[in-house]
Amino acid sequence: MKDLHLPGSQATPTISADSATGVLAMHGDSYPENAFELYGPVIEWVETYLAQSDKPLYMELELLYLNTSSIKAIMDVFDLVQAAHENGRRVAVNWYYDLANKRVGELAEEFTEDYTFAFQVIGRP
Amino acid sequence: MRSRHQELEERVQALLADPANQAHPLGAALQELWEHMGEHVQRLERITTLSDSYQWMAREREKSLCDRLEGQLRRISRIVRISDQYQGVLREMNTRLQEISSRDPLTEAPNRRVLMDRLQLAHTQACNRASTFVIAMLDVDHFKQINDCYGHDAGDRVLVLLSELLCSELRDRDICGRWGGEEFLLILPETTLADARAVLARKLQAVRTLHVEAGPGEPPIRLTMSAGLAQYIPGEAVSAMLNRADMALYQAKKKGRDQIAP
Repeated sequence: MKDLHLPGSQATPTISADSATGVLAMHGDSYPENAFELYGPVIEWVETYLAQSDKPLYMELELLYLNTSSIKAIMDVFDLVQAAHENGRRVAVNWYYDLANKRVGELAEEFTEDYTFAFQVIGRP
Repeated sequence: MRSRHQELEERVQALLADPANQAHPLGAALQELWEHMGEHVQRLERITTLSDSYQWMAREREKSLCDRLEGQLRRISRIVRISDQYQGVLREMNTRLQEISSRDPLTEAPNRRVLMDRLQLAHTQACNRASTFVIAMLDVDHFKQINDCYGHDAGDRVLVLLSELLCSELRDRDICGRWGGEEFLLILPETTLADARAVLARKLQAVRTLHVEAGPGEPPIRLTMSAGLAQYIPGEAVSAMLNRADMALYQAKKKGRDQIAP
């Protein structure tokens, strides 16, 4: 399967997806003009990875500002993760934020609601 | 009911089985009727089964649609809630940036950017209403000596105190800010040169009475300021007006400082 290495820009996060390690990492701001175009391949990668192997999936996030369509896209990914978790797959999401910016952490916490997989919001100095 | 049906069925079957009835013309007709009824009963059962399963499917479908709708509604309200919070964060950041971009960090007085905006506004208003306004460029006399003798911290303290003094007791429409270095700009809309002179005279007098702490055992620092005024001349550009205020300030300095020109 094709891994992802998308360089970030002012409006889009840096995204990397590595099927060898099972790590999907995203960091930066996300307010793209077309969230479907940006996150379509990410969702596709997660679906393919979950379908083609039984290795664990880890998400490493360090997202700052998200516009509404990005919030929806990220939830779509989390829904896939949740479904995989319910099927007994090993999955974990770590969302890092700068302790100096507590509001970002509070917002990340909002995403954890409704999900039962291992979802940690971690403040870093 | 069931027993009556059963009884009837048994009676009919017995009649049909009786060889004595076989030659009777009603015997063949009853046999046909019996078979016909059997087919009808079978068909009715099939229809009932089919109809039941359709009903079951429709109910299941409705249930799953309701579940999905509920899930989607819940999801939308979460997205909206999170999105609203992100907007709140942006708003706060915007306010903070506005604050940072409009204040001089040392004195917290309006900075040059704000002064330029307000100057343009006063200029436009004076043009439109055929009214007038005055600007005053103020400069601390011998400021370099204060920095050299007492250090930059003392120089900073002087600027903070002077800024407080100059910005206080102004009318709502007036504004004073830090133009740069030890220079302050005062904008007085709807004001004549004579009235502006009176305002500046009070400010310069207040500066003379200031005592700024210089350090342990040191006599306090005493200060004076010079001011150059310019009243708006109809048709004059903002930059030309600023130049005239600068020139007037230069005149005040040249005539011995601690005074207003013209």
